[in-house]
Amino acid sequence: MLISDIKSRPVYERLSLDGAGRRHLVLSDAPRPLGEVIDGTDGAGAPLGYWIVAATSAVDAQPQAEAAPGNAAPVERRAFRAASHLLDRLSHRLAQETVGLRLYAIGEEGFIWDVARMAREAGLEPSECFTAHAGSLRRKVFCVHCKTVTSGVTTSLAVCEGCGAHLVVRDHFSRTHAAFMGVQADAEAPGELPAVEEVFP
Amino acid sequence: MTARPRIMALRVAAAIPLSPTLKAFTFIPADGGLVPPSGPGAHLRLNLPVPGRTLKNAYSLISNPQDRSHHSIIVRRVAGSKGGSAFLHEEVQDGDVIEAGLPANLFPVVRTARRHLMVSGGIGLTPFLAYIAAFEAAGTPWELHHFCRPDERSVFEGLLARYPASKVNIHCDVDLAVLEEVLARQPLGTHFYTCGPALLMDSAIERAAALGWPRSRLHSESFGGAAEGGEPFIAVLRRSGLEVMVGADTSLLAAIEAAGVEAPCLCRGGACGQCLIEVAEGIPEHRDHFLDGEERASNRLIMTCVSRSRTARLVLDL
Repeated sequence: MLISDIKSRPVYERLSLDGAGRRHLVLSDAPRPLGEVIDGTDGAGAPLGYWIVAATSAVDAQPQAEAAPGNAAPVERRAFRAASHLLDRLSHRLAQETVGLRLYAIGEEGFIWDVARMAREAGLEPSECFTAHAGSLRRKVFCVHCKTVTSGVTTSLAVCEGCGAHLVVRDHFSRTHAAFMGVQADAEAPGELPAVEEVFP
Repeated sequence: MTARPRIMALRVAAAIPLSPTLKAFTFIPADGGLVPPSGPGAHLRLNLPVPGRTLKNAYSLISNPQDRSHHSIIVRRVAGSKGGSAFLHEEVQDGDVIEAGLPANLFPVVRTARRHLMVSGGIGLTPFLAYIAAFEAAGTPWELHHFCRPDERSVFEGLLARYPASKVNIHCDVDLAVLEEVLARQPLGTHFYTCGPALLMDSAIERAAALGWPRSRLHSESFGGAAEGGEPFIAVLRRSGLEVMVGADTSLLAAIEAAGVEAPCLCRGGACGQCLIEVAEGIPEHRDHFLDGEERASNRLIMTCVSRSRTARLVLDL
């Protein structure tokens, strides 16, 4: 019942530092070694920030400067309690930024597309914002009937948190909503639902 | 679909000298009514009858696009040109009627931009006069850096006098180093536009790129340069049964038109794709922005408005 070959389904490549940038900010929704998420940071001449979601209250989000290998500019590291915390600081940072910044986001699709949306709203061009997927494939699902977004969906059918409809999770992805489209599964034969499969581990 | 008229008749409502080499023209429709709609950055192509042929010279519209009572342009008299600017400066008087194509726009404003940074040189200011009128009307932030010769400073100051001095910067030195600081402090969402001599545009774009500006934020206008000049060749129009000599200083499209053959065209700047013609024999020299790499490599298509021929003969399905 999944509709595949939909062109809006994002395709990701491994992140690589864009040498044309004058400042770089890398965002990860989980603690990961920097070299594991992005290529080209060794010897990068431009200032680089690495912000991660630590998912614990035991961090203070204060910048920690750290010498980088080679002759590279120092890396400024910050750890945040939660993704919301990181996105809040990101909106302040983007409001003060100037042209020349490159933004990179890695993590689950909900996170990286929230970052991409915030970047777009702040005036970044697609050629200045890069995304890569890591971690769970679980999806945010946008109910096309009631417009509610249901998070953390791992199954082919999901119950909408807004209207309670059983939604088929499509591959049709909306960059505006940072979510996949969900359409009522039993619209034509009420009550007749296909088997639920775990498809987005 | 009914074909829209491609030519309109404009009456010269005013021809005002601004300096020994600059003259401003205001046109109104010869038959009354409103001029056709245009957008900021659009240009007008005037049919200028000079001895022996008709030139089709493009001039940026400087008038506010929302004001459809008239079209305005500024023309610099160029020494050693083909004679179009001299014709406008010397022959054209108030009340004269000139033929023109409909306005076309190869240098549009980026609608999603939050802020617009413009760098112009000399007469390259003209499209930005229309830009600024539109930005002021919409309340969009903008900043202009204009480079000109000291003796023309007062002319350009006069054209920009109605706008806030905080947004207008006129420089009479040739050094673009002042742009370093300007380019480095632009907020996200700023787009950059440049119009003027090729050297100024290339240098400004190079500086921006070195400061981390991606290509998608950088926009430049140049008229005709791509269409002009090249080795002469013969275009064989297979269906019309004609052989057309394309001289070193005419475009293929102009040569076809001079031979009396109606060829498709719209933008005349290598952008829109309307003038695409199939090539039966010969190898085109592609100068357009429309065909993709594969189409270019196939040598089966040519955009007549800007592209030329690598071979002495080019056989077209026209």
